[in-house]
Amino acid sequence: MKVLWIALANLRRMFRVRTNIFFVFVFPMALILVLGATFGGSYTPRLGVVSAGSGPLGAALLRQLEQTPHLRVVTVSDPATLLTQVERGNLAAGVVIPPGYDGAVSAGRAVTLRYLARPDQSSQQLGETVRGAVARQAALLGAARFAVTQHSAPSFSAGLAEATRIAPAVPSVSVTQTTAGTALFSRSLGQFDEGAWTELLLFLFLIALTGAVALIETRRLGVARRMLATPTSPATVVAGETLGRVLIACVQALVIILGSALLFGVNWGAPAGVAAVVILFALVGAGAGIFMGTLFRNEQQAIGVSLLLGLGLGALGGCMVPLEVFSPAMRRVAHITPQAWGNDAFARLVGHGASIGGILPQLGVLAAYAAVLLTLAAWRLRRVLSA
Amino acid sequence: MRAAWLICAKDLKARLRDRSAILIGIVVPLGLAFIFNSIFSGISGGSDVISLGVVNADHGVVSQQFTGAILPAVGRSGLIAIHPEAGLTQARALAAKGTLSAVIVIPAGFSARVQAGQPASMQVIGNVDAPVSTEVARSIAESFAADLNRIRLSVATVAAGTAQSAGSAPLPPARIQALAAAAAAAAAPVAVNDVSAQTKELNQKSFFAAGMAVFFLFFTVQFGVTSLLEERNEGTLARLLAAPISRASILGAKLLTSFLLGVISMTVLVVATTLLFGATWGNPLGVAVLVVVAILAATGIMALIAAVARNAEQAANWQSVVAVILGLLGGTFFPVSQAPGVLSRLTFVAPQAWFLRGLGDLRGGSISVVWVPALAMLGFAAVAGGLALTRLRHLGEV
Repeated sequence: MKVLWIALANLRRMFRVRTNIFFVFVFPMALILVLGATFGGSYTPRLGVVSAGSGPLGAALLRQLEQTPHLRVVTVSDPATLLTQVERGNLAAGVVIPPGYDGAVSAGRAVTLRYLARPDQSSQQLGETVRGAVARQAALLGAARFAVTQHSAPSFSAGLAEATRIAPAVPSVSVTQTTAGTALFSRSLGQFDEGAWTELLLFLFLIALTGAVALIETRRLGVARRMLATPTSPATVVAGETLGRVLIACVQALVIILGSALLFGVNWGAPAGVAAVVILFALVGAGAGIFMGTLFRNEQQAIGVSLLLGLGLGALGGCMVPLEVFSPAMRRVAHITPQAWGNDAFARLVGHGASIGGILPQLGVLAAYAAVLLTLAAWRLRRVLSA
Repeated sequence: MRAAWLICAKDLKARLRDRSAILIGIVVPLGLAFIFNSIFSGISGGSDVISLGVVNADHGVVSQQFTGAILPAVGRSGLIAIHPEAGLTQARALAAKGTLSAVIVIPAGFSARVQAGQPASMQVIGNVDAPVSTEVARSIAESFAADLNRIRLSVATVAAGTAQSAGSAPLPPARIQALAAAAAAAAAPVAVNDVSAQTKELNQKSFFAAGMAVFFLFFTVQFGVTSLLEERNEGTLARLLAAPISRASILGAKLLTSFLLGVISMTVLVVATTLLFGATWGNPLGVAVLVVVAILAATGIMALIAAVARNAEQAANWQSVVAVILGLLGGTFFPVSQAPGVLSRLTFVAPQAWFLRGLGDLRGGSISVVWVPALAMLGFAAVAGGLALTRLRHLGEV
């Protein structure tokens, strides 16, 4: 019973500080939203297009570009802005359809589009997609112009109308497309899904590590001393402090999971599996946080080390870039972190619809982490408290 | 003035001795920049040469034109490497493995069908995880197909026009062949001209170094201004005020401590990231200007929060919240300017965004480009610092 009271006191102390609510709940949720909106789904390069004053044919070329798959077209007001946006990397590349494009093409003059690309390869390779779109439109424009030069059409516009009319009936040379290989990422993932579970693991661990700060404070303010002055055994205090950290993590996970599911429609997978991962991960975090709390006396130092370990291990464990894109050697290194095992578990739960039975290996590893860290933490804490 | 120096020197010594400032100002940002950089450098950022396989099962006149003229021209840029493959099965397996990003297949009988005016098609097989490279491959094939279609459509349009005006029978084959030759020789109506733009982006190493440095700068400078509140809590401020030291000296000393901590942290980080993992910060003078105004902006904003906070603990909590929000919006962890819509413009409420933009522009231009970001950061420093000073003037009057 006493264990529970100590745990609840921990919980109350945590959430009485309003700024903690920000770091525990609001900030992770905001990150899930921002990351999902920016990088969610597959990467689509953005092509900036300036087409002001280019007339109906310019607009038709713009539509042709917009229909290109795996390319997002962003219209930009003028060439100077386009150049800056491309140079700053906000756009992958840019194309300028000059003013008077329509008139020049109609009059049979040579027209040149400017393609703006940075020196890097991905920016320049995108030029082929622009050439493809231009070539598709040029089929009609070229036919119209040819009809005029061969005196079979009175004007360019008449030739264009004629070419457009008969084009569907002319047998064409086409390009078909298929894909090969098995996808790295499950196709069933929603825009916010992967970001949601990686941020959850990142922040569960980070906040758990800052539990070290709370523990230092408990010692500094003499709360631990006073508890031990009552008929309470050190074992009870250790259990209470640990349960407190686990409870905080569980409340955090519950709010983030329910909140992101309701607000951004995040899919989390089989509830039993999610609960198992979260509880084991909370135990791992509690062990790590308390262990660290016994190593430092200064709260500022503990915060510094928490940030370094929390963000560093998170990044290494695939919480910032997915493990799937790591090199094989790096992926093996990543699996020294509990985050990597947590990420694997969620990838199976969400990406492949696995049930709790499908993530037993990951749960086993997390349980081992929890056992080792909690044993270390309990041993150190008893020593520190009785000192 | 001497009193201000003494207070500042005492604070600096205390901060360096308890190691927390060194941890937050140097060790943590350096460690994180190193970790992020080593993780991300193992990942291809889509900036590789595209490996494009070609299977020519046709060997006719038309496909020769594609493999002999079009593809070598595409490969000449060095951006796309062309790999002729003998068999379809093997090429498909290489695409499945990802060894080839995509394969363009010209089926047997392609040339004959094209020359006979029948429907014909080329095939593109793309690796499932390389959609953008596959799209580039498809566009190359599509450009070639579109040019063949242009010739067909040109002939057909002339034929249709002639048929309408003359009301007569279809054109004789010889005339069609002559028309096709003329159409093939006609220049493409629209050309695409490559214009190279500069890069004003930081490379990956420099981005992580600069991002982490400026993110933690906001935490480092708070050690100075917030110690004012600590001195008030502990009663040492009252004793300082009782001594013949002006309020301005005390306040100045605390701000100076923040500034100097910022200078030490940033200098060490710039030098260390340059030497240890080859970050390129750019023109030293430009970097110095940006660093100094960034420290001023950070000090101003953190001082403002300290000025409105009730005690040191509350100040530290809110300073962390503000530093984290501004750091995220300022794009210190990932480029928020690539976010869609309003988010990309929201980034400029953060001095961090101006700092990173300044460094990026410095990479692609002369030193004169730093003035706009520098003035923006000075604006933050002036507004936040000014407000903080008007409130902190009354310090100790409680």
